[in-house]
Amino acid sequence: MTEAAPHRAAGGPARRTVLLSGVAGLAGAGALAGVAAAAAGAPADRAVSAHPGPSATTRALGFRGRRQAGIVEPPQPYAAFLALDLAPGADADAVRRLFTVWTDDIERLMGGRAPLTDLEPELAEVPASLTVTLGVGPGVVTAAGAPMPTWLRPLPAFPTIDRLQDRWSGGDLVLQICADSPVTVAHAQRKLLTGAGDLATLRWVQRGFREPYATAGSGLPFRNLFGQVDGTVQPSTTGPDDALIWQPSGADPAWTAHGSAMVVRRIGMRLDIWDQVDRLSRENAIGRRLDTGAPVTAPDGAPATTPADLHATDELGFTVIDDFAHLRRAHATTPEERFLRRPYSYDDAPEPGELSQSGLIFVTFQADPVRQFVPVQARLAEADLLNLWTVPVGSAVFAVLPGALPGEILGQGLLG
Amino acid sequence: MSTTPGRLGRGVVTRGAVAALALTTALALGGCGSSSAPNADSTASAGQSTAAPLTLSDGWVKAVESVGMSSGSMSPSASPMGSPSASSTGGMDMSAPMTAMFGTLRNTSGSQLTVTGGSCAAAGMVQLHETVKNADGTMQMQQKKGGFVIPAGGSFVLQPGGNHVMLMDLTQPLKNGDTVAVTLETSAGPVSFTVPIRTFTGGNETYQASPSS
Repeated sequence: MTEAAPHRAAGGPARRTVLLSGVAGLAGAGALAGVAAAAAGAPADRAVSAHPGPSATTRALGFRGRRQAGIVEPPQPYAAFLALDLAPGADADAVRRLFTVWTDDIERLMGGRAPLTDLEPELAEVPASLTVTLGVGPGVVTAAGAPMPTWLRPLPAFPTIDRLQDRWSGGDLVLQICADSPVTVAHAQRKLLTGAGDLATLRWVQRGFREPYATAGSGLPFRNLFGQVDGTVQPSTTGPDDALIWQPSGADPAWTAHGSAMVVRRIGMRLDIWDQVDRLSRENAIGRRLDTGAPVTAPDGAPATTPADLHATDELGFTVIDDFAHLRRAHATTPEERFLRRPYSYDDAPEPGELSQSGLIFVTFQADPVRQFVPVQARLAEADLLNLWTVPVGSAVFAVLPGALPGEILGQGLLG
Repeated sequence: MSTTPGRLGRGVVTRGAVAALALTTALALGGCGSSSAPNADSTASAGQSTAAPLTLSDGWVKAVESVGMSSGSMSPSASPMGSPSASSTGGMDMSAPMTAMFGTLRNTSGSQLTVTGGSCAAAGMVQLHETVKNADGTMQMQQKKGGFVIPAGGSFVLQPGGNHVMLMDLTQPLKNGDTVAVTLETSAGPVSFTVPIRTFTGGNETYQASPSS
């Protein structure tokens, strides 16, 4: 829910996109070539079938690569974030065995193939653009005996806003599981958890969702449960801003090269009191129009990507964008204060008598959270009108491992 | 904890049994026949030559995290087809841990091939098993008479609840995420496989003595 300095958001070409062979694949692609292509940035001239399928559920993204999938790909509609803790006393060998299992399982699942022990392989036959992204917390780095990145530590406390709970915070490991089908996500979650055996145990799960591609339409960004268009201004995912998102090849420590850093903040939205304010007040709080997502300084019909005029004043001399509007407070003050946001909404079942149990799984990817994320978060903690309606209840920082090249396991560099 | 030799050949598979193979006494690692493989994608047939008449795809061995030893343990190889008898532990064999290998065998040769047996450095004994239904409806696994016969170019599926290769009398843990070398004896000569080890809570190959006591 932060803003970044203006930069053209580009729907970059999805790398390693593979359409599974077979009739089902062709059927799905034929019917939804436009949707799939818009989402993937892939050419729209896919094979046409006389038997159009209901969805592009057979689309599979490649696993092998210098970088992991699930970061710059267009966010799939369904996600589960799993944090696990290593078993007590786990050593580097235990980490190696865990990553050996997960690497194989993830490669198979993303390719629409069942993990080795899966007795219901049919559930794996619908990859639905599945990505599984593996990250590690400080505990794994210590267990592996590897050098610790300076930024791999919990975010500083933000006591003015944080109401963090252990059950949504921290973890030795994170698995980000995203797909176009909730069944695919559920199956991948189950197989990866059981595959870990006694090497790691679950710490928390956060389930999230976004608009499915089909209803979101081409180019329309994420709309959170406040109704706000979010993620309008992003670093480029096609190369120019790689230094903001990825560790460079010469990263320190070396095992982080081509990896990233992932921040997961669980932010409760108090929709009950949000309901008590009028629409203009809501727009004032964020500094954006609810209809188009454009800054409140933009004229009617202007696109969401219209740059904000932070200096515009009204006839009384007040700034049009409130001094404490989310947009202004989150606005990058240096080119470094930008990061890739890949958020998901959650809408859990409220307790009896409650109205909602909703919020945002705020997920960001950046090379260095301390340099890029923390300054922005500190400004928001200091003053942001949105804080009236939002409550951070979870926080975790992970190092996203580099991708696995052919013959490698995830974390190969970490394990030496 | 005493065991009776010979129950293995007529052992009954107890379906749904949980963690029967997890034993209480940990055995120190040493002389390990299982090994680590840097390549998680190592295929089950990694250990074989390209000209091998038999391949194994999607092969895996169920993990056994610890191997207990008891003074009364007895190798099941003593009399694999001997007379059935319940032991004092209700037939549960807690002293000679075992596990199984699964996957799809393929005969890549131009003639029929028979798998006749096998060996594994981590196991005192390797047997070829099938699972059959008894007259009372219970499932029972037993040695496959005549071995696994695979026609030219044909496949043979090894799966929990079906045909499988039993690794018996384990001498060391087989840990999730490691690999283990298994050699199958065939009519066309021995073929070795490097097989991934995976945690698996189903298909417990737990033996119970036949209900004769």
